[in-house]
Amino acid sequence: MKTMSESKAVLIIDDDSDFVRAIQTLLESSGYKVRSASNGREGIQLAKNIQPDLVLLDVMMSERTEGFFVLQEMRRIPALSRTPVIVVSSIYSEEPVFRVDPKAGWLPANLFLAKPVEPARLLAEAMRLTGASAAEADKPADGKKQP
Amino acid sequence: MAAMPTSDRENTIFVIDDDAIIRLSCEQILKKSGYKVETFANGHEGIERLKEVRPPLLIVDIKMPELDGFEVIKIVRRIDPDVVIVVITGYATIETAVDAMKMGAYDFLPKPFTTNELRMIIERGFERWRLAKEAHFLRQQKEEVERKFVTLVSHQLKGPLVAVKQYLDVLLYTRNAELSGETLEWISRSQARIDEMLALIQDWLLLAKLDRGALCDRDASADIGKIAEAVIQEYRQLPSAATVTLTAEAAPGLPQARGDEVCLNMLVRNLVSNAVKYNKPGGTVKVGADSDDQWIILEVSDTGIGIPEDFRPHLFEEFYRSKTPETQNIPGTGLGLVICKKIVDELGGTIDVESKEGEYTIFAVRLPAAEPPKGVDYFDAVGE
Repeated sequence: MKTMSESKAVLIIDDDSDFVRAIQTLLESSGYKVRSASNGREGIQLAKNIQPDLVLLDVMMSERTEGFFVLQEMRRIPALSRTPVIVVSSIYSEEPVFRVDPKAGWLPANLFLAKPVEPARLLAEAMRLTGASAAEADKPADGKKQP
Repeated sequence: MAAMPTSDRENTIFVIDDDAIIRLSCEQILKKSGYKVETFANGHEGIERLKEVRPPLLIVDIKMPELDGFEVIKIVRRIDPDVVIVVITGYATIETAVDAMKMGAYDFLPKPFTTNELRMIIERGFERWRLAKEAHFLRQQKEEVERKFVTLVSHQLKGPLVAVKQYLDVLLYTRNAELSGETLEWISRSQARIDEMLALIQDWLLLAKLDRGALCDRDASADIGKIAEAVIQEYRQLPSAATVTLTAEAAPGLPQARGDEVCLNMLVRNLVSNAVKYNKPGGTVKVGADSDDQWIILEVSDTGIGIPEDFRPHLFEEFYRSKTPETQNIPGTGLGLVICKKIVDELGGTIDVESKEGEYTIFAVRLPAAEPPKGVDYFDAVGE
């Protein structure tokens, strides 16, 4: 089944190649184009080049909090400042410190998902974040209120 | 005045005394012993300079005009909890000395004192300061190592498990139709075993945080009734709790309990999880919240299989799980109640269990009510 996500590009920034392969397979099966980078610097470079519709970002790569710096850096680059970002991490089981603050002019991260990621949830969120307009981007797909 | 080099600072003694003769004699004796001495005729001057220099040791007279020695100790303790304070007391009553020591002085020197008495007390004071500094340094290092160790190990343990689980999850999701019944079953069994392991690592991480006192916030407060309601709501949605009836009931106007929401939520969740797991089909799980004087009482009761009497003393021990035919297939890390006990201890409460085998189990938690928020004007509340 080909959906509207056919032309959407997702960038995965994560240093675990197995995790990347599993998620890439999942996203590709739903018609996304997927690229990946195994560290923050490479990830930002690739993001600048391909202008993805969605970024999946790991937190703890070679540096303990590398993902946070990537996020900060991305938000400073005008072309990437509003790109939806899902932070995925196994360090935290609950939504961590960088919660979505709807009052902030831009979103630090649009969503946090704990690893391992539930496939149906990820696909629903990817659909929502790549399909919806920016104004609707802070309503989660499952309809639950964001804390 | 400019800050002095560390080596000088660590060799400095302040003397605060309104008596010029005492100041002079202390200075002469201690300088001869190789210390750097600064003297002050009143508390204000000494305190101002202490903010800049942070000397290891302070000698202060109790009886002074304006700011007396007790006042000086009180202020100095707030500025620098580590400085060793020796008081000089003119009317050598034990009471004055005891009062001063209660306020944080390390030792006292009754007037008149001999050169040797002064030297001995100062030497002891410095020894004490050095030991405290060393202990402080070691404690910091230990905590840092523990913190890093826990984060790194948990990340490294979780990494491979997460990758394996992610493969299985995606496999099951994308190839479901192509896989045979047995393959599907084996995949879901593998997933369940990995979840078990991930839960174990998560609990172990929590315990490590609890051991460092880094999990619960004793200054925070939370509504235990609301937390109980939220946890019960959540469990009602879970397939694993489908065969039991869950209820939560909080007394109206229940005061806030000490502790932050995350920590108390974990406590309630662990107890409810047990009550569901060790229940019987058609059973009930009740969470009640009430108060008794300065205590918030949380009760989680079930109509389950109960806990055999000889197991009860070991309930709160790490990795201790009852192994009866009824319980051997119930998943769990064996750390849930250990976590509960540690959270309750950390918050200054108690946890007790009452049970009858084959009939029921009741866990009763007593938590201190939260301190009223600071800065509230109590007259307003009374005046209503």
